[in-house]
This record gives sequence, structure tokens and C-alpha cells, in this order.
Amino acid sequence: MSEVYASPFFGIFLSILTFEIGVRINKKTKSAVANPLLIAVILCILVIKIFRIPLESYYVGGDLITVFLGPATAVLALSIYSQFALLKKYFLPILLGTITGSLVSVSSAYLLCKLFHLDDVLTRSMLTKSVTTPFAIAISKNIGGIPSVAVAAVVMTGILGSVFAPLLIRLFHVKNPVAAGVAIGTSSHAVGTSKAIELGETEGAMSGIAIGMAGIVTVIISLFL
Amino acid sequence: MKMMYQIGLLFGVCLLGQAVSVFLPISFPGSVLSMIILFLLLFFRVIKVDHIRQKADFLLKNMSFFFIPAGIGILSSFDLIRSSILPLITVIIVTTILTFGATALTVQGVIALQDRHAQAKQTKEKSSE
Repeated sequence: MSEVYASPFFGIFLSILTFEIGVRINKKTKSAVANPLLIAVILCILVIKIFRIPLESYYVGGDLITVFLGPATAVLALSIYSQFALLKKYFLPILLGTITGSLVSVSSAYLLCKLFHLDDVLTRSMLTKSVTTPFAIAISKNIGGIPSVAVAAVVMTGILGSVFAPLLIRLFHVKNPVAAGVAIGTSSHAVGTSKAIELGETEGAMSGIAIGMAGIVTVIISLFL
Repeated sequence: MKMMYQIGLLFGVCLLGQAVSVFLPISFPGSVLSMIILFLLLFFRVIKVDHIRQKADFLLKNMSFFFIPAGIGILSSFDLIRSSILPLITVIIVTTILTFGATALTVQGVIALQDRHAQAKQTKEKSSE
């Protein structure tokens, strides 16, 4: 059986199957909590745990999917290009928003970790939770965190952001789609952006810009840590 | 535009982004650099939107799918975070809400200030006419 799991088709098929189940449940329930990504990740973990499949076997195919994250991030340029007039008009608010958001993210993570008496290494791995994975790996290494824990925090933040983005927009009475997009990208990076794209082209483009900006701002903040 | 051409173009841009990231003095993700490069190529009309439209639509519409392996990656560091999982989740929930709120309110606030400034300028110009 292990030869079957170790085939790249296993990881790819399991991911597509569980994602498709997630999309169907999402369409049926029309609930933000029934997020296809969240459902797919939970179902995959269940399958891997129940059938005792080695994680490496899943990643023979899984890594091939991850390869496409690069191009998927790059094509956000298309959304930004088509929304360039808005970016130009609102450049200052977008810049100030990502700076404020990144400062709040890093400082609130630090204070809360201290409040819960989490150890120093774990705390340092949490500070990069709102930036996209490659930024988080690089920064957490520099400031003495554990990159794999940092990635776990990034992914959980992203899924949480994409699940709750529509609720947060209502909670904070965000009427402007530019503000909504920048807030999604700054708080929950590329995973949140995948949700922002569904909300609208403006939201998607602004969220895409915010991924890069929040990453750069957080790199600069990390120099002072 | 032919699919193979679009895929080739996009992977070429990603390769270029990766190459630039290797030569930069600070660590900067190749994927974000590819985004900037692709934007510049579109902006200076080196390539047209139609050249990559279909491929881009496919990737953008299914973007969250590509994060599934990263999500499952939580399993590999689970032993490190198992003992403090509840506080960690609390930190993640609270900080995400705070970050979202702070960002959204700042953007909206600055836009409101800009609008007021623009209005004040307009009325000033009108009264001076």
C-alpha cells in the first residue's frame, strides 16, 4: 500500500478531492465558516492520521501543488494593474494602513504571548504571523524564532482571516472596499487574499498590494527587535 | 493566447523573481518579486493582459487550493506547539482581529481626511473665484 501513497498522484488527488468537498459544503451552507481551504486541510489531516500515512508520502504530490503558489502570487499583479488608478489615488492611506496594521500585529502578538507566559523562542516565532510564508521564514530566523512554528502560525492566521474576513468587515463597519482589501492583506496575507478575491476585484487587488507592503514593513520592524 | 505560451511566460517571470531574490542583499520572497516584475511588464506594456488572462484567472479563482499543503504542514511542527496550543490560538485570534481593525480604520480615516482636505480646497477655490 505504501507504494500507492508514495505516488505523487496520492497527495494531489487527496487535496483536490477534499477541496472539492469543501467547495460543495460551502455552496450548500453559504456560511463563511464552511471555508473550502479549512475543510480540505481538516479532511486531509484526518485521512493522513486515520490511515497512518507518512507525511513525506503526502508531500510527494503536495509539494507539486505548493510550486504553484509562486505563480498564483505573481498573477496578483494583474489585479493590481487593473486597479492601478485606485492604488495611485489611495497610496497614502494604503501605506499608512499597512504600517499601522503591521505595528499592531507585531506588538499585540508580543504583549499577548508575554501575558500567557509563553517562552521566548515561541514568542519570537509568533511575531511574523501576519506576513506571507517566505517573509515569515526569513524574519523568524533572523530574530531567533523557529521557522516551522512561524509557518504554522502564519497558516493558522491566514485560514482564520479568510474564514472571518466577511464578519470582520461587518464588525468594524468597513464600507470602503479599498480599506477592506488592505485590512485583509495586512492581517492575513496571501491566504486571506484568496478570500478577498472572492469579495471583489478591488478587495483582491488591494489585499495583494498589502501582502508585499506589510511584509516589507515587518522586515523593517524586525530590525529593531 | 495559447495556454502553453501563458504558462511558459508565467513560470519565466517566477524564475526571474527567484533569481532577483538570490542576488538581493536582504531576504525578500521570490513570489512577491515576481508579482512586482509582472506588474512592471504590464505597466510598461512589454506584455498585454490578454497574454496571461486565462492562466491568471484560473490561478486567482483557485488560489486558496494551493495553500492546502502549507496548512497540512502544521502537523510537522505540532509537537513543538502542542503544550501551548490554546494560548497560541487565542493570540492568533485576538491579534488578527486587532490588526484587521487597526488597518481598516486607519485606511478609512486617512481617506476621510483626504476627502475633507480636497473639499476644503474646492470650497476655497470657489470662494476665491
